[in-house]
Amino acid sequence: MLRTILLIPFLMSTPIRHRLQAPPPPPPTQPATSYTYVGTVHAVNAQTGTLDLITGVGMSLRLVHMTAGPVVRPSSPASGLRFADLKPGDAVRAECRRTSAPPGLVVNRIEKIEAPAR
Amino acid sequence: MTVSSRWVAVLLSLLALSCKKPVNPGDPLPGLTAEQLARFTRGKEVFDSVFTPHTGLGPLFNSTSCGECHEDPMVGGTGDEVEVHATAFKNGMCDPLVQEGGPVIQLHTTPALKKALGIDREPFPPSANGRASRTTPVVFARGLMDLVPDSAILAYADSEDRNHDGVHGRPNRSVDGRIGRFGRKAFVSTLAEFNAGAFVAEMGITNPVQPTEENIGGKPIPPGVDSTADPEINQEELDVTDDFVRFLAAPTPTKLDRNGRRGRDLFSKIGCTGCHFPTLRTGASPILALDRHEFPAYTDLLLHDMGQDLADICLGQAGPADFRTEPLIGLRAIQHFLHDGRAATVDQAIELHGGEASGARDRFKALTAEDRAAVVAFLKSL
Repeated sequence: MLRTILLIPFLMSTPIRHRLQAPPPPPPTQPATSYTYVGTVHAVNAQTGTLDLITGVGMSLRLVHMTAGPVVRPSSPASGLRFADLKPGDAVRAECRRTSAPPGLVVNRIEKIEAPAR
Repeated sequence: MTVSSRWVAVLLSLLALSCKKPVNPGDPLPGLTAEQLARFTRGKEVFDSVFTPHTGLGPLFNSTSCGECHEDPMVGGTGDEVEVHATAFKNGMCDPLVQEGGPVIQLHTTPALKKALGIDREPFPPSANGRASRTTPVVFARGLMDLVPDSAILAYADSEDRNHDGVHGRPNRSVDGRIGRFGRKAFVSTLAEFNAGAFVAEMGITNPVQPTEENIGGKPIPPGVDSTADPEINQEELDVTDDFVRFLAAPTPTKLDRNGRRGRDLFSKIGCTGCHFPTLRTGASPILALDRHEFPAYTDLLLHDMGQDLADICLGQAGPADFRTEPLIGLRAIQHFLHDGRAATVDQAIELHGGEASGARDRFKALTAEDRAAVVAFLKSL
Protein backbone atom coordinates (compact mmCIF):
# COMPACT_ATOMS: atom_id res chain seq x y z
CA MET A 1 0.00 0.00 0.00
CA LEU A 2 2.86 2.30 0.85
CA ARG A 3 4.34 1.78 -2.60
CA THR A 4 0.96 2.37 -4.15
CA ILE A 5 0.73 5.65 -2.34
CA LEU A 6 4.18 6.57 -3.64
CA LEU A 7 2.87 6.28 -7.17
CA ILE A 8 0.53 9.19 -6.87
CA PRO A 9 1.49 12.72 -6.19
CA PHE A 10 1.01 13.38 -2.53
CA LEU A 11 0.95 16.48 -0.53
CA MET A 12 3.87 17.03 1.78
CA SER A 13 2.85 19.70 4.19
CA THR A 14 5.24 22.55 4.82
CA PRO A 15 7.23 21.86 7.97
CA ILE A 16 5.44 23.27 10.95
CA ARG A 17 8.51 25.20 12.08
CA HIS A 18 8.35 27.20 8.85
CA ARG A 19 4.78 28.14 9.48
CA LEU A 20 5.54 29.09 13.07
CA GLN A 21 8.56 31.22 12.28
CA ALA A 22 8.79 34.68 13.77
CA PRO A 23 6.92 37.68 12.40
CA PRO A 24 6.51 39.64 10.26
CA PRO A 25 3.72 37.48 8.91
CA PRO A 26 4.02 36.80 5.22
CA PRO A 27 1.61 38.35 2.78
CA PRO A 28 -1.47 36.26 2.14
CA THR A 29 -0.01 33.87 -0.43
CA GLN A 30 -0.59 30.19 -0.97
CA PRO A 31 1.59 28.07 1.33
CA ALA A 32 4.43 26.39 -0.51
CA THR A 33 3.51 22.82 -1.30
CA SER A 34 5.65 20.10 -2.72
CA TYR A 35 4.79 16.99 -4.66
CA THR A 36 6.77 13.84 -5.18
CA TYR A 37 6.44 11.93 -8.42
CA VAL A 38 7.99 8.53 -9.04
CA GLY A 39 8.23 7.18 -12.54
CA THR A 40 10.17 6.62 -15.73
CA VAL A 41 11.84 9.40 -17.67
CA HIS A 42 10.02 9.67 -20.98
CA ALA A 43 11.89 12.65 -22.39
CA VAL A 44 14.44 15.04 -20.97
CA ASN A 45 16.04 18.14 -22.42
CA ALA A 46 18.79 19.61 -20.28
CA GLN A 47 19.11 22.67 -22.53
CA THR A 48 15.48 23.74 -22.24
CA GLY A 49 15.24 22.33 -18.71
CA THR A 50 12.20 20.19 -19.37
CA LEU A 51 11.34 16.69 -18.26
CA ASP A 52 8.41 14.41 -19.09
CA LEU A 53 7.86 11.66 -16.57
CA ILE A 54 5.65 8.60 -16.98
CA THR A 55 3.87 7.82 -13.74
CA GLY A 56 0.70 5.94 -13.05
CA VAL A 57 -1.20 3.18 -11.38
CA GLY A 58 -1.31 -0.22 -13.01
CA MET A 59 -2.13 0.20 -16.69
CA SER A 60 -3.50 3.69 -16.13
CA LEU A 61 -0.48 5.82 -16.98
CA ARG A 62 0.02 9.56 -16.92
CA LEU A 63 2.60 11.89 -18.44
CA VAL A 64 3.74 14.64 -16.10
CA HIS A 65 5.58 17.66 -17.52
CA MET A 66 8.14 19.41 -15.32
CA THR A 67 10.71 22.12 -15.64
CA ALA A 68 14.07 22.36 -13.96
CA GLY A 69 14.48 24.38 -10.80
CA PRO A 70 17.85 26.07 -10.15
CA VAL A 71 19.40 23.06 -8.42
CA VAL A 72 18.84 20.58 -11.24
CA ARG A 73 19.91 22.90 -14.07
CA PRO A 74 23.15 21.94 -15.83
CA SER A 75 24.78 25.14 -14.61
CA SER A 76 24.00 24.48 -10.97
CA PRO A 77 27.09 24.36 -8.74
CA ALA A 78 25.22 22.21 -6.23
CA SER A 79 26.03 18.54 -5.99
CA GLY A 80 23.35 16.03 -6.86
CA LEU A 81 21.62 14.77 -9.93
CA ARG A 82 20.77 17.21 -12.73
CA PHE A 83 18.66 16.92 -15.84
CA ALA A 84 21.82 16.42 -17.89
CA ASP A 85 22.47 13.19 -15.97
CA LEU A 86 19.15 11.68 -16.96
CA LYS A 87 18.10 9.69 -19.97
CA PRO A 88 14.81 8.15 -21.14
CA GLY A 89 14.08 4.92 -19.30
CA ASP A 90 15.61 5.98 -15.98
CA ALA A 91 13.40 5.39 -12.95
CA VAL A 92 13.46 8.52 -10.83
CA ARG A 93 11.89 10.24 -7.85
CA ALA A 94 11.29 13.94 -8.50
CA GLU A 95 10.45 16.42 -5.77
CA CYS A 96 8.61 19.37 -7.25
CA ARG A 97 6.70 22.47 -6.33
CA ARG A 98 3.74 23.83 -8.20
CA THR A 99 3.97 27.32 -9.59
CA SER A 100 1.14 29.50 -10.76
CA ALA A 101 2.98 31.82 -13.12
CA PRO A 102 3.65 30.14 -15.40
CA PRO A 103 1.46 27.27 -14.19
CA GLY A 104 3.39 24.05 -13.83
CA LEU A 105 5.69 21.88 -11.81
CA VAL A 106 9.26 22.87 -11.03
CA VAL A 107 11.72 20.17 -9.99
CA ASN A 108 13.63 21.00 -6.83
CA ARG A 109 15.42 17.68 -6.49
CA ILE A 110 15.61 14.51 -8.50
CA GLU A 111 17.20 11.15 -7.86
CA LYS A 112 17.45 7.83 -9.64
CA ILE A 113 15.83 5.08 -7.65
CA GLU A 114 16.72 1.54 -6.88
CA ALA A 115 13.39 0.02 -6.08
CA PRO A 116 13.31 -2.14 -2.98
CA ALA A 117 12.37 -5.79 -3.35
CA ARG A 118 9.46 -7.09 -1.35
CA MET B 1 -1.27 -43.36 22.10
CA THR B 2 -1.61 -47.04 21.25
CA VAL B 3 -0.78 -48.41 17.84
CA SER B 4 -4.45 -48.95 17.00
CA SER B 5 -5.49 -45.44 18.07
CA ARG B 6 -2.64 -44.05 15.97
CA TRP B 7 -4.00 -45.93 12.97
CA VAL B 8 -7.47 -44.57 13.67
CA ALA B 9 -6.04 -41.04 13.76
CA VAL B 10 -4.23 -41.59 10.46
CA LEU B 11 -7.35 -43.01 8.84
CA LEU B 12 -9.46 -40.12 10.11
CA SER B 13 -6.92 -37.64 8.71
CA LEU B 14 -6.97 -39.37 5.34
CA LEU B 15 -10.75 -39.38 5.40
CA ALA B 16 -10.78 -35.68 6.20
CA LEU B 17 -8.39 -35.00 3.34
CA SER B 18 -10.42 -37.05 0.89
CA CYS B 19 -13.58 -35.27 1.99
CA LYS B 20 -11.99 -31.83 1.69
CA LYS B 21 -14.41 -29.72 -0.23
CA PRO B 22 -12.99 -28.81 -3.63
CA VAL B 23 -12.61 -25.11 -4.37
CA ASN B 24 -14.64 -24.14 -7.40
CA PRO B 25 -13.93 -21.21 -9.74
CA GLY B 26 -15.14 -18.04 -8.05
CA ASP B 27 -14.95 -19.43 -4.52
CA PRO B 28 -13.20 -17.49 -1.77
CA LEU B 29 -9.98 -18.77 -0.26
CA PRO B 30 -10.59 -21.48 2.30
CA GLY B 31 -9.87 -20.32 5.82
CA LEU B 32 -10.99 -16.70 5.58
CA THR B 33 -12.41 -15.19 8.75
CA ALA B 34 -16.04 -14.12 8.91
CA GLU B 35 -14.94 -10.51 8.56
CA GLN B 36 -12.82 -11.29 5.51
CA LEU B 37 -15.69 -13.23 3.97
CA ALA B 38 -17.96 -10.24 4.54
CA ARG B 39 -15.46 -8.02 2.71
CA PHE B 40 -15.26 -10.59 -0.09
CA THR B 41 -19.03 -10.44 -0.44
CA ARG B 42 -19.16 -6.62 -0.35
CA GLY B 43 -16.33 -6.43 -2.83
CA LYS B 44 -18.09 -8.82 -5.16
CA GLU B 45 -21.06 -6.45 -5.18
CA VAL B 46 -18.88 -3.53 -6.27
CA PHE B 47 -17.06 -5.77 -8.78
CA ASP B 48 -20.42 -6.68 -10.27
CA SER B 49 -22.07 -3.25 -10.10
CA VAL B 50 -22.83 -1.62 -13.42
CA PHE B 51 -21.64 1.97 -13.74
CA THR B 52 -23.43 4.57 -15.80
CA PRO B 53 -22.27 8.04 -16.88
CA HIS B 54 -24.28 9.33 -13.93
CA THR B 55 -22.23 7.20 -11.49
CA GLY B 56 -18.89 7.93 -13.16
CA LEU B 57 -18.62 5.66 -16.19
CA GLY B 58 -16.31 6.98 -18.87
CA PRO B 59 -16.08 9.22 -20.74
CA LEU B 60 -13.90 6.47 -22.30
CA PHE B 61 -14.42 2.88 -21.26
CA ASN B 62 -14.10 -0.76 -22.30
CA SER B 63 -16.88 -2.09 -20.10
CA THR B 64 -19.51 -0.92 -17.67
CA SER B 65 -18.50 -3.22 -14.80
CA CYS B 66 -15.65 -5.51 -13.78
CA GLY B 67 -18.07 -8.41 -13.88
CA GLU B 68 -19.12 -7.68 -17.46
CA CYS B 69 -15.77 -9.05 -18.64
CA HIS B 70 -14.76 -11.31 -15.74
CA GLU B 71 -17.90 -13.41 -15.79
CA ASP B 72 -17.30 -16.93 -17.04
CA PRO B 73 -17.87 -19.45 -15.49
CA MET B 74 -18.27 -17.27 -12.39
CA VAL B 75 -17.55 -13.71 -11.33
CA GLY B 76 -13.76 -13.35 -11.46
CA GLY B 77 -13.48 -15.60 -14.48
CA THR B 78 -12.89 -14.87 -18.13
CA GLY B 79 -15.07 -13.24 -20.79
CA ASP B 80 -15.37 -12.87 -24.53
CA GLU B 81 -14.38 -9.19 -24.69
CA VAL B 82 -11.15 -8.32 -26.47
CA GLU B 83 -9.54 -4.94 -25.90
CA VAL B 84 -6.86 -2.98 -27.71
CA HIS B 85 -3.48 -1.78 -26.45
CA ALA B 86 -0.94 0.28 -28.38
CA THR B 87 2.69 1.30 -27.86
CA ALA B 88 5.73 2.31 -29.87
CA PHE B 89 9.02 0.42 -29.64
CA LYS B 90 11.92 2.48 -30.97
CA ASN B 91 15.66 1.98 -30.57
CA GLY B 92 15.15 -0.58 -27.85
CA MET B 93 12.98 1.76 -25.78
CA CYS B 94 9.30 1.36 -25.06
CA ASP B 95 6.98 4.33 -25.36
CA PRO B 96 3.55 3.54 -23.87
CA LEU B 97 2.20 6.51 -25.86
CA VAL B 98 0.54 8.12 -22.88
CA GLN B 99 0.69 11.41 -24.81
CA GLU B 100 -1.57 9.83 -27.46
CA GLY B 101 -3.94 7.96 -25.15
CA GLY B 102 -2.01 4.73 -24.72
CA PRO B 103 -1.36 2.11 -23.73
CA VAL B 104 -5.03 1.08 -23.28
CA ILE B 105 -7.17 2.31 -26.17
CA GLN B 106 -10.76 2.33 -24.96
CA LEU B 107 -13.38 1.01 -27.32
CA HIS B 108 -16.46 2.89 -26.10
CA THR B 109 -17.48 6.44 -25.29
CA THR B 110 -20.29 7.90 -23.26
CA PRO B 111 -23.09 9.71 -25.14
CA ALA B 112 -21.74 13.05 -23.86
CA LEU B 113 -18.27 12.43 -25.28
CA LYS B 114 -19.72 11.21 -28.53
CA LYS B 115 -21.80 14.36 -28.75
CA ALA B 116 -18.78 16.58 -28.00
CA LEU B 117 -16.21 14.93 -30.27
CA GLY B 118 -18.23 12.68 -32.56
CA ILE B 119 -16.19 9.60 -31.68
CA ASP B 120 -17.36 6.08 -30.78
CA ARG B 121 -13.98 4.98 -29.42
CA GLU B 122 -10.62 6.43 -28.53
CA PRO B 123 -8.55 7.23 -31.63
CA PHE B 124 -5.74 4.78 -32.29
CA PRO B 125 -2.38 6.48 -31.54
CA PRO B 126 -0.78 7.68 -34.79
CA SER B 127 2.75 6.96 -33.50
CA ALA B 128 2.03 3.36 -32.54
CA ASN B 129 4.08 0.64 -34.16
CA GLY B 130 2.62 -2.06 -31.96
CA ARG B 131 -1.01 -3.07 -31.59
CA ALA B 132 -2.22 -5.76 -29.22
CA SER B 133 -5.50 -7.53 -28.71
CA ARG B 134 -6.05 -8.60 -25.12
CA THR B 135 -8.55 -11.13 -23.86
CA THR B 136 -9.92 -11.09 -20.32
CA PRO B 137 -7.79 -13.16 -17.96
CA VAL B 138 -9.29 -15.03 -15.04
CA VAL B 139 -8.36 -13.31 -11.78
CA PHE B 140 -8.44 -16.38 -9.56
CA ALA B 141 -5.56 -16.68 -7.07
CA ARG B 142 -4.23 -13.20 -7.85
CA GLY B 143 -4.02 -12.49 -4.12
CA LEU B 144 -1.70 -15.48 -3.81
CA MET B 145 0.37 -14.32 -6.78
CA ASP B 146 0.63 -10.89 -5.19
CA LEU B 147 2.38 -12.39 -2.18
CA VAL B 148 5.06 -14.38 -3.96
CA PRO B 149 8.23 -12.65 -2.74
CA ASP B 150 10.28 -10.72 -5.28
CA SER B 151 13.24 -12.80 -4.15
CA ALA B 152 11.50 -15.95 -5.39
CA ILE B 153 10.82 -14.39 -8.79
CA LEU B 154 14.42 -13.23 -9.05
CA ALA B 155 15.64 -16.68 -8.03
CA TYR B 156 13.82 -18.19 -11.03
CA ALA B 157 15.30 -15.64 -13.44
CA ASP B 158 18.05 -16.84 -15.76
CA SER B 159 18.47 -14.00 -18.21
CA GLU B 160 21.91 -15.28 -19.25
CA ASP B 161 20.62 -18.83 -19.76
CA ARG B 162 23.37 -20.19 -17.54
CA ASN B 163 21.86 -23.67 -17.59
CA HIS B 164 21.79 -23.68 -21.41
CA ASP B 165 18.21 -24.87 -21.65
CA GLY B 166 17.26 -22.13 -24.11
CA VAL B 167 15.00 -20.51 -21.51
CA HIS B 168 16.10 -17.19 -20.08
CA GLY B 169 13.36 -15.65 -18.02
CA ARG B 170 13.76 -12.18 -16.63
CA PRO B 171 11.51 -9.90 -14.59
CA ASN B 172 9.79 -6.86 -16.00
CA ARG B 173 9.77 -3.57 -14.10
CA SER B 174 6.99 -1.10 -13.36
CA VAL B 175 7.30 2.61 -14.20
CA ASP B 176 9.16 3.21 -10.95
CA GLY B 177 11.49 0.25 -11.33
CA ARG B 178 9.83 -2.32 -9.08
CA ILE B 179 9.54 -5.94 -10.17
CA GLY B 180 6.32 -6.51 -12.07
CA ARG B 181 4.11 -9.57 -12.06
CA PHE B 182 0.58 -8.66 -13.20
CA GLY B 183 -0.65 -8.24 -16.75
CA ARG B 184 0.36 -10.16 -19.85
CA LYS B 185 3.68 -8.30 -19.85
CA ALA B 186 4.18 -8.40 -16.04
CA PHE B 187 4.27 -4.62 -16.04
CA VAL B 188 2.33 -4.07 -12.81
CA SER B 189 3.89 -4.77 -9.43
CA THR B 190 0.97 -5.19 -7.08
CA LEU B 191 -2.60 -6.37 -7.19
CA ALA B 192 -3.80 -3.17 -5.51
CA GLU B 193 -2.30 -1.09 -8.32
CA PHE B 194 -3.63 -3.40 -10.99
CA ASN B 195 -7.15 -3.12 -9.59
CA ALA B 196 -7.07 0.65 -9.02
CA GLY B 197 -5.65 1.20 -12.49
CA ALA B 198 -8.21 -1.08 -14.08
CA PHE B 199 -11.10 0.92 -12.63
CA VAL B 200 -9.86 3.95 -14.59
CA ALA B 201 -8.40 2.34 -17.70
CA GLU B 202 -11.29 -0.08 -18.24
CA MET B 203 -14.31 1.84 -16.97
CA GLY B 204 -13.24 5.43 -16.52
CA ILE B 205 -13.96 5.18 -12.80
CA THR B 206 -11.57 7.41 -10.89
CA ASN B 207 -10.66 6.46 -7.35
CA PRO B 208 -8.48 7.74 -4.52
CA VAL B 209 -5.40 5.94 -5.86
CA GLN B 210 -5.85 7.12 -9.47
CA PRO B 211 -7.98 10.25 -9.15
CA THR B 212 -7.67 11.52 -12.72
CA GLU B 213 -9.41 10.36 -15.88
CA GLU B 214 -7.69 9.01 -18.96
CA ASN B 215 -7.08 11.57 -21.68
CA ILE B 216 -8.83 11.28 -25.05
CA GLY B 217 -6.14 10.28 -27.52
CA GLY B 218 -3.80 12.55 -25.57
CA LYS B 219 -6.21 15.48 -25.44
CA PRO B 220 -8.09 16.69 -22.38
CA ILE B 221 -11.71 15.82 -21.77
CA PRO B 222 -13.96 18.51 -23.27
CA PRO B 223 -15.72 20.68 -20.68
CA GLY B 224 -19.08 19.38 -19.50
CA VAL B 225 -18.50 15.81 -20.70
CA ASP B 226 -17.67 14.26 -17.33
CA SER B 227 -19.62 16.00 -14.63
CA THR B 228 -19.24 13.34 -11.93
CA ALA B 229 -16.96 14.54 -9.16
CA ASP B 230 -13.64 12.71 -8.74
CA PRO B 231 -12.94 10.29 -7.22
CA GLU B 232 -15.94 8.40 -8.56
CA ILE B 233 -15.63 5.58 -6.03
CA ASN B 234 -14.36 5.99 -2.51
CA GLN B 235 -11.53 4.25 -0.69
CA GLU B 236 -13.87 1.76 1.00
CA GLU B 237 -15.37 0.67 -2.33
CA LEU B 238 -11.89 0.34 -3.82
CA ASP B 239 -10.60 -1.59 -0.82
CA VAL B 240 -13.42 -4.14 -0.70
CA THR B 241 -13.17 -4.71 -4.46
CA ASP B 242 -9.46 -5.27 -3.99
CA ASP B 243 -10.23 -7.73 -1.21
CA PHE B 244 -12.74 -9.58 -3.38
CA VAL B 245 -10.07 -10.18 -6.02
CA ARG B 246 -7.40 -10.82 -3.39
CA PHE B 247 -9.51 -13.48 -1.71
CA LEU B 248 -10.49 -15.38 -4.87
CA ALA B 249 -9.04 -18.85 -4.51
CA ALA B 250 -7.21 -21.00 -7.01
CA PRO B 251 -9.80 -23.55 -8.14
CA THR B 252 -8.94 -27.10 -7.13
CA PRO B 253 -7.73 -28.98 -10.20
CA THR B 254 -10.19 -31.70 -11.14
CA LYS B 255 -9.21 -35.25 -10.24
CA LEU B 256 -6.86 -36.75 -12.78
CA ASP B 257 -7.40 -40.21 -14.18
CA ARG B 258 -4.51 -42.35 -15.34
CA ASN B 259 -4.40 -40.56 -18.70
CA GLY B 260 -4.35 -37.14 -17.05
CA ARG B 261 -1.56 -38.19 -14.69
CA ARG B 262 0.46 -39.33 -17.70
CA GLY B 263 -0.24 -35.96 -19.30
CA ARG B 264 1.01 -34.19 -16.19
CA ASP B 265 4.23 -36.19 -16.31
CA LEU B 266 4.66 -35.49 -20.02
CA PHE B 267 4.04 -31.76 -19.46
CA SER B 268 7.08 -31.79 -17.23
CA LYS B 269 9.12 -34.20 -19.34
CA ILE B 270 8.87 -32.15 -22.54
CA GLY B 271 9.99 -29.03 -20.70
CA CYS B 272 6.81 -26.98 -20.25
CA THR B 273 7.52 -26.67 -16.53
CA GLY B 274 10.72 -24.79 -17.39
CA CYS B 275 8.49 -21.70 -17.43
CA HIS B 276 5.10 -22.95 -16.22
CA PHE B 277 6.38 -23.76 -12.71
CA PRO B 278 3.74 -26.01 -11.15
CA THR B 279 3.69 -24.33 -7.75
CA LEU B 280 4.58 -21.02 -6.19
CA ARG B 281 4.62 -20.17 -2.51
CA THR B 282 3.46 -16.96 -0.89
CA GLY B 283 5.48 -15.09 1.71
CA ALA B 284 4.30 -14.07 5.13
CA SER B 285 0.92 -12.37 5.39
CA PRO B 286 -1.28 -11.30 8.30
CA ILE B 287 -4.14 -12.95 6.38
CA LEU B 288 -3.82 -16.58 7.38
CA ALA B 289 -5.48 -17.86 4.22
CA LEU B 290 -2.69 -16.23 2.19
CA ASP B 291 0.18 -16.79 4.59
CA ARG B 292 3.03 -18.99 3.29
CA HIS B 293 0.67 -20.90 1.06
CA GLU B 294 1.70 -23.13 -1.83
CA PHE B 295 -0.63 -22.97 -4.82
CA PRO B 296 -0.78 -24.45 -8.32
CA ALA B 297 0.37 -21.41 -10.29
CA TYR B 298 2.00 -22.87 -13.41
CA THR B 299 3.98 -19.69 -13.99
CA ASP B 300 7.35 -18.24 -13.04
CA LEU B 301 5.99 -14.66 -13.34
CA LEU B 302 8.93 -13.89 -15.65
CA LEU B 303 9.17 -12.55 -19.17
CA HIS B 304 10.16 -14.88 -21.98
CA ASP B 305 10.76 -14.20 -25.65
CA MET B 306 7.91 -16.01 -27.37
CA GLY B 307 9.00 -15.35 -30.93
CA GLN B 308 8.11 -12.84 -33.60
CA ASP B 309 4.86 -14.53 -34.61
CA LEU B 310 3.30 -13.62 -31.25
CA ALA B 311 4.99 -10.20 -30.89
CA ASP B 312 2.74 -7.17 -30.44
CA ILE B 313 3.36 -4.30 -27.99
CA CYS B 314 6.13 -3.42 -25.56
CA LEU B 315 5.61 -2.40 -21.92
CA GLY B 316 8.31 -1.34 -19.50
CA GLN B 317 11.31 -3.54 -20.20
CA ALA B 318 9.25 -6.09 -22.10
CA GLY B 319 9.87 -5.97 -25.82
CA PRO B 320 7.15 -6.82 -28.34
CA ALA B 321 7.98 -10.56 -28.28
CA ASP B 322 8.30 -10.79 -24.49
CA PHE B 323 5.39 -12.17 -22.50
CA ARG B 324 5.00 -13.20 -18.90
CA THR B 325 4.47 -16.92 -18.53
CA GLU B 326 0.71 -17.15 -18.37
CA PRO B 327 -0.51 -18.68 -15.09
CA LEU B 328 -2.57 -21.74 -15.98
CA ILE B 329 -4.84 -21.36 -12.96
CA GLY B 330 -8.42 -21.89 -14.03
CA LEU B 331 -7.43 -22.96 -17.55
CA ARG B 332 -10.50 -25.18 -17.72
CA ALA B 333 -12.65 -22.04 -17.80
CA ILE B 334 -10.89 -20.58 -20.83
CA GLN B 335 -12.48 -20.79 -24.27
CA HIS B 336 -9.93 -18.82 -26.30
CA PHE B 337 -6.23 -19.22 -25.59
CA LEU B 338 -3.08 -17.09 -25.58
CA HIS B 339 -2.99 -13.40 -24.73
CA ASP B 340 -5.11 -12.37 -27.70
CA GLY B 341 -7.37 -15.38 -27.96
CA ARG B 342 -6.02 -16.45 -31.34
CA ALA B 343 -5.91 -20.13 -30.39
CA ALA B 344 -9.21 -22.00 -30.36
CA THR B 345 -7.81 -25.07 -28.58
CA VAL B 346 -5.10 -25.89 -26.07
CA ASP B 347 -3.23 -27.87 -28.76
CA GLN B 348 -3.20 -24.84 -31.02
CA ALA B 349 -2.01 -22.62 -28.21
CA ILE B 350 0.96 -24.89 -27.54
CA GLU B 351 1.76 -25.10 -31.25
CA LEU B 352 1.78 -21.30 -31.48
CA HIS B 353 4.44 -21.02 -28.77
CA GLY B 354 7.74 -19.82 -30.27
CA GLY B 355 11.01 -18.27 -29.17
CA GLU B 356 12.19 -19.72 -25.89
CA ALA B 357 9.27 -22.15 -25.90
CA SER B 358 10.18 -23.61 -29.30
CA GLY B 359 11.92 -26.62 -27.80
CA ALA B 360 9.00 -27.59 -25.59
CA ARG B 361 6.60 -26.92 -28.47
CA ASP B 362 8.57 -29.18 -30.81
CA ARG B 363 8.70 -31.94 -28.23
CA PHE B 364 4.95 -31.63 -27.80
CA LYS B 365 4.45 -31.86 -31.55
CA ALA B 366 6.63 -34.94 -31.65
CA LEU B 367 4.43 -36.79 -29.15
CA THR B 368 1.98 -39.43 -30.31
CA ALA B 369 -1.62 -38.32 -30.68
CA GLU B 370 -2.46 -40.20 -27.49
CA ASP B 371 0.25 -38.49 -25.52
CA ARG B 372 -0.74 -35.07 -26.82
CA ALA B 373 -4.30 -35.77 -25.78
CA ALA B 374 -3.04 -36.75 -22.34
CA VAL B 375 -1.19 -33.43 -21.96
CA VAL B 376 -4.32 -31.55 -22.99
CA ALA B 377 -6.44 -33.61 -20.58
CA PHE B 378 -4.09 -32.64 -17.78
CA LEU B 379 -4.19 -28.95 -18.71
CA LYS B 380 -7.98 -28.98 -18.87
CA SER B 381 -8.02 -30.23 -15.28
CA LEU B 382 -6.49 -26.97 -14.01
